[in-house]
Amino acid sequence: MSSVITRRRFFRYCQLTAAALGLDAAGLGLLRKALANPNAPTVVWLQGSSCTGCSISLLNLISDRIGEPASVEAVAAEAVNLVFHPTLMATAGEDAVASLLEAQKAGGYVLVVEGAVPLAFGGRACIAYSWRGREVTFQEVVQECAARAAKIVSVGTCAAFGGIPAAGANPTQAVGVQTLTGRPVINVSGCPANPDWVVWVIVQLLLGKTIQLDENSRPIALYAAKFDGSSAPAILHDKCPRNPGLHGVPIARQFGEDGHCLEQLGCRGPFTRARCEAAWNGIAGAVPPQPHAAHWCIGVNAPCHGCVEKEFPGPKSFYEPYSG
Amino acid sequence: MPVLTAAIDPVTRIEGHLKVEVKVETVRGVQQVVDAFATGTLFRGFEKILEQRDPRDATILTSRICGVCPTSHAMASVLVLDQVCGVGGDTPARTASRLLRNLVHGACYLESHILHFYFLSLPDYVSALPVAPWLPGWRAGNRLDSATASRLRDHFRTAIAMRRNAHEMGAIFGGRLPHTPAFIPGGFTAVASAEQRDLFSKYLEELIQFIGNVYIPDVELVASVFDEYLLLGRGYGNLLAFGAFELDNSESPALLFRQGRRRNDSDEAEPLDLSQITEQVRYSWYADADDDLNPAVGETRPENPKGKAYSWLKAPRYSGVPYECGPLARMIVNGDYRGGVSVMDRHRARAQEALKLALAMRDWLSELPLNTGAYTPCTVPVQGTAVGLTEAPRGALGHWLAVQERKIARYQVVTPTCWTISPRDSQGQRGPLEEALIGIPVDNIDQPIEVLRVIHSVDPCLDCATHVIRAEAGRKVFTLGPMPGK
Repeated sequence: MSSVITRRRFFRYCQLTAAALGLDAAGLGLLRKALANPNAPTVVWLQGSSCTGCSISLLNLISDRIGEPASVEAVAAEAVNLVFHPTLMATAGEDAVASLLEAQKAGGYVLVVEGAVPLAFGGRACIAYSWRGREVTFQEVVQECAARAAKIVSVGTCAAFGGIPAAGANPTQAVGVQTLTGRPVINVSGCPANPDWVVWVIVQLLLGKTIQLDENSRPIALYAAKFDGSSAPAILHDKCPRNPGLHGVPIARQFGEDGHCLEQLGCRGPFTRARCEAAWNGIAGAVPPQPHAAHWCIGVNAPCHGCVEKEFPGPKSFYEPYSG
Repeated sequence: MPVLTAAIDPVTRIEGHLKVEVKVETVRGVQQVVDAFATGTLFRGFEKILEQRDPRDATILTSRICGVCPTSHAMASVLVLDQVCGVGGDTPARTASRLLRNLVHGACYLESHILHFYFLSLPDYVSALPVAPWLPGWRAGNRLDSATASRLRDHFRTAIAMRRNAHEMGAIFGGRLPHTPAFIPGGFTAVASAEQRDLFSKYLEELIQFIGNVYIPDVELVASVFDEYLLLGRGYGNLLAFGAFELDNSESPALLFRQGRRRNDSDEAEPLDLSQITEQVRYSWYADADDDLNPAVGETRPENPKGKAYSWLKAPRYSGVPYECGPLARMIVNGDYRGGVSVMDRHRARAQEALKLALAMRDWLSELPLNTGAYTPCTVPVQGTAVGLTEAPRGALGHWLAVQERKIARYQVVTPTCWTISPRDSQGQRGPLEEALIGIPVDNIDQPIEVLRVIHSVDPCLDCATHVIRAEAGRKVFTLGPMPGK
């Protein structure tokens, strides 16, 4: 890994002093390719019927743990070769598509999919790009990219299970990536997906480790373990600090009551498996006064909506007691 | 001279799926855009997904329309639900609710504006970071000396942290961002403590410093080096704002960003009459029977393929006229911005608005009642209708709700991107972005970065609103793939 960083720092030096070295953008591009470390896997990040929230969530990444990327910059600079990401990439149009097609041709990349795949209107509810004048549907792109990927990671509940686009009457016949492709997929569900969970999966793939999955193809280590890796109750309610049975916390009868159990207000914690507790928008597990103390929904008296589950959002009211 | 066509698909560094086609011709010795078509390429049908649900669920579901402005949708939906449920009164709970909503919504504004300038726009002017996905990029020219470019790159790195911190700040009361569950009909779930307030303040003061000392100067620098963009990308010059950030608990509260519109031929902001808003669908993939309806009675019946339609976006018009919305519209309607309408004016107004809002957030934080529940009990009526208007970071946002038998009978969402990126309307008038592209000089047809600069200046969010725009038959120079059934 150190050689990756050294090479990339060298490249950064060249980039910063490009004028002095007489390098233009094209020259720098060639240099970057020459310096690309074979150990840095190519990652292709596709967005379909999504809200971009999982990408935004990835940008919220922060870590102070040794050996982990500390921010999204470190992910891109030191961990992976993120050749295609529509929200972030500098290039556009056919040049952007060319990066994708080049990766596709080489094969063996990690395919990350954000968003569901709509099948209605012959797939035309979502066009991924145009190539040589032809509009290519997201459905086609996912199928083609999945066929040549080393690993497929569905980021967020839409890509994993269909999510909100597939709710109700499912007006666009949206499906998750596994349903579409029939291939093995690692589902990192959540609406949005937690950035630590996404990067955890990438790190495991970098290390060549096998990821144990639950019956919904989610990593057991992410949805049923503590942050130190030891096992924990899978059900959120069973580890909730507001669990009345375990901690004697009163049950809230209406909103605005601070610190109470939210089960009567529609909390789906008893039916949700995740390690959400103090894991959002900060350093997972850090609590005040630690810097970047993390947060979670229940911490602000908001019921869990079960957004990591296959059943999310489902037809039932979020405001009535939930029975699965 | 030959007419060339460039299609940018995907337009990257936006939210969602957008394709823009431009026709380029040499006129009076300058190669420039002579026609433009903006095409939103995603349809999710949120309005359909919401039908027959518990109306209170609208907040949770519509937040997921957009990962960049989730709290704006949450805000529009709690406003519409408060109204339909009759939530009102001047109570401590209402004050706490109003301020907590404003603070978390405000945090998302700061996040979005910083994201927009550094992540989405800056790579149009200077290469951001020397790794994929920021390399390779289209040639941005060499106008910035290497020291300046390197300083901007450092600021880009700082912006990565600042954008993230803005979300961390919002999550103190919001629990999580994007997609906070804390906005509820009747109020807000969090009960603020002194410790939370102080932590929020710490983040906010750092952001105020960043906006004032780094973000605004960076925008000014780019605007001065690329000063031709103070004259480019004007478009129609019609500006519209629904208004946002309530300042009191009354039924018609004062707003930090006032409501109004300004026509291109006037210096005065005029009031809005919502009944003048209609959505036109001749060029959109929705049933023609739904053309020119006010959102209160609007329908969303997808029809693809359909005649000349080329977009999943409807074309909202005010009295039949296209309007642009966003920070520049807000700042001009408010009398806070004296410049013109152009690519760089949009960036400047956005940056200045970030500071204005951040300073208002400082006041709201000092007014925030501590240890006070922010919820007013409310129930959904058997039937009712209401409108919830607010502003997303990229412009005017409205949710229209009709309740029957305590369920959602109709939900219509009109987003800022529908206004700004709209396709041609039923009269054939271009959408505001399409119009803004006319006359833009294009140096290299293979990498029309000038077009990208105009597109990014309006901060498109196609997750919120997706239209596809297709040229009229016979005027097309660029052949799209065959539509199914055609």
